[in-house]
Amino acid sequence: MTEPLLDVRNLSVDYLTEAGDVHVLSDVSFTVAQREFVGIVGESGCGKSTLLFAVAQLLTPPGELVGGEVVFHGRDMVGLTGAELRHLRWRDYSMVMQSAMNALNPMKSIAAQFKDTLEAHGTSSHDEIRQRSTEVLELVGIDPVHLGSYPHQLSGGMRQRAMIAMALLLTPQLVIMDEPTSALDVVAQQSLMTKIRELQQRLGFAVLFVTHDMSVVSRYSDRVMVMYAGQIAESAPTETIFERPLHPYTRGLMNAFPSISGPRREMAGIPGAPPDLARPPSGCRFHPRCPAVMDICPEQEPDLYVRDGAEVRCLLYADSAQPAVERETPAQEARP
Amino acid sequence: MSPETPAASAATAGDEPLVRTVELTKHFGLGGLFSRQVLHAVDDFDLTIAEREIVALVGESGSGKSTVARLLARLYTPTKGEIFYRGRSLRSLRSRKDMLWYRGEVPIVLQDPFSAFHPVFRISHGIMRNLALHRPDLSREERRAEAERVCEAVGLSPRMLSRFSYEMSGGERQRIGFAQALAVKPKLILADEPVSMLDVSIRAGVLNMMAGLRDREGVSLLYITHDLASARYVADRIVVMYAGHQVESGPTETVLSDPKHPYTQLLLSAVADPREKSSELSADTGEPPRVVNPSEGCRFRSRCPFAIEKCGQVTPRLEPIGEALVACHVAAAQGKAAGSSDTAPVTHT
Repeated sequence: MTEPLLDVRNLSVDYLTEAGDVHVLSDVSFTVAQREFVGIVGESGCGKSTLLFAVAQLLTPPGELVGGEVVFHGRDMVGLTGAELRHLRWRDYSMVMQSAMNALNPMKSIAAQFKDTLEAHGTSSHDEIRQRSTEVLELVGIDPVHLGSYPHQLSGGMRQRAMIAMALLLTPQLVIMDEPTSALDVVAQQSLMTKIRELQQRLGFAVLFVTHDMSVVSRYSDRVMVMYAGQIAESAPTETIFERPLHPYTRGLMNAFPSISGPRREMAGIPGAPPDLARPPSGCRFHPRCPAVMDICPEQEPDLYVRDGAEVRCLLYADSAQPAVERETPAQEARP
Repeated sequence: MSPETPAASAATAGDEPLVRTVELTKHFGLGGLFSRQVLHAVDDFDLTIAEREIVALVGESGSGKSTVARLLARLYTPTKGEIFYRGRSLRSLRSRKDMLWYRGEVPIVLQDPFSAFHPVFRISHGIMRNLALHRPDLSREERRAEAERVCEAVGLSPRMLSRFSYEMSGGERQRIGFAQALAVKPKLILADEPVSMLDVSIRAGVLNMMAGLRDREGVSLLYITHDLASARYVADRIVVMYAGHQVESGPTETVLSDPKHPYTQLLLSAVADPREKSSELSADTGEPPRVVNPSEGCRFRSRCPFAIEKCGQVTPRLEPIGEALVACHVAAAQGKAAGSSDTAPVTHT
């Protein structure tokens, strides 16, 4: 097996607040292979955006990376200096933010913003900059006449596309996207996701992608990671997870949104609300809402167990499988 | 309360629906004092809502669906057209007493449950105030009992009444929004995207609660959403809006299983069902229009794969095709050619 492009090991992030430290991410480990499209789903507050920021080394206080490694291209990015990171960003990996449409500088034309990015990474020839900017805009389906446009002259969908064009300027191997389509309408969203998927397959970069929308994940990603309360609840190839969801939370999610075709079924939803991460439930963090809760669940913290090609953090699968990940610091999480 | 229109004198006739709008139109002036730019938010919109009916109003952002809700709630006054509530024109509501009565009959639940409540007051405040305003005949004890009843009706414990809004989750807050609306004994609740800001796992509960309100409390609902799947889940009838125009309406299953308007077809193709194998994807870039000083013609024509010359000249009117009402020249022509039979008019693959 070849080395993964991105290898995240035991990543833990705390938010330091006056009321005490909040463990937003606890021991998150996963890999992204070359040319892989990985979707992360979860509810608001489950730590999915924090995970992306931690991976991209963009955490700002009160967020603090308290443990773990982010190995990108065989190099641990945790602890790199600002200058070293600047060198990697845009060139080796780039990030498209949630409200990417507001991430563009309103005072500068699209061309000027592209130029800044290219110049920061050593391209100085005017012609080259012009040519590359035109290329990427065409890639995402925007007419290059808009190079001279300012962000306010473009629609939301076009701004979002321009951001993606910018992320592809230096042909990075990993593009990190935080809900890039959540501010768009269904039709625009579908069209943009199709574009991203097509570019990803044609240009061969990997995508790490966060969303709360199951339908988007199902259609476009190779692998799905379901997050709950700062942990990975389940991780599996897209088809596997939609055909045979293992974790009760994943199953609940599958039954929580109505279908557009087929018979109308009663939806159950999941009772209760996501936990407050300042005081996560003991044992399995999902047990207060879990329909399949057992006596042991409030007491024992589940590991990620391998089962039928999936990794699942649920004690239902504890007997029949080996823990997928060796925990380095199990004691750390037991603290109240 | 002098009757201004013939329909108003008809009062609550047996065949008069709960709400009926006739050529409802709302325009907004843009720019400065001398600007001639006019945004056509809603144009010639005809909608009926029967008693105990759930109608879903579906469309993209900017299609004017929230404007329709605000017009119905009398937060906006229409530029043109009429709204009849039980046969009575809303233009005849002038006094404060009349307005209070109407707002009690037709309350609105807003999209964002996180900013809809005053953080200084307990949850009971809004509900009790509604009760005091709209149902002054109740005694203090009765009001308290009623507040607890509506709390239970939306699936919350009465203990929630003494909480503050910031102590509650989004789903709980949205339920409180419905409890406040229920407290006034409404006939119709206008729900403007009530679940779009909620997490997936919570949405199902709120949708079920909405459907339950119709069954148990006998209210009608106007459910405004951009999510066709959830519209299908709760609604009896679907009305599809595009750029201020109604483009298609009909019984939910009819519209979704056999959409006649190209825009409805596009919307449906954009909705992926995770439990199904992915269907074919269209190449539409999905740019919703901004309807400033529009010219005559169908507003979907620039995106429409079936557009003909007539689409740029004449604005299509709603015409019945089968069980649905459709505003499309092409679908209408094909509907007639097929002898208004059940063959699918616009073939879309």
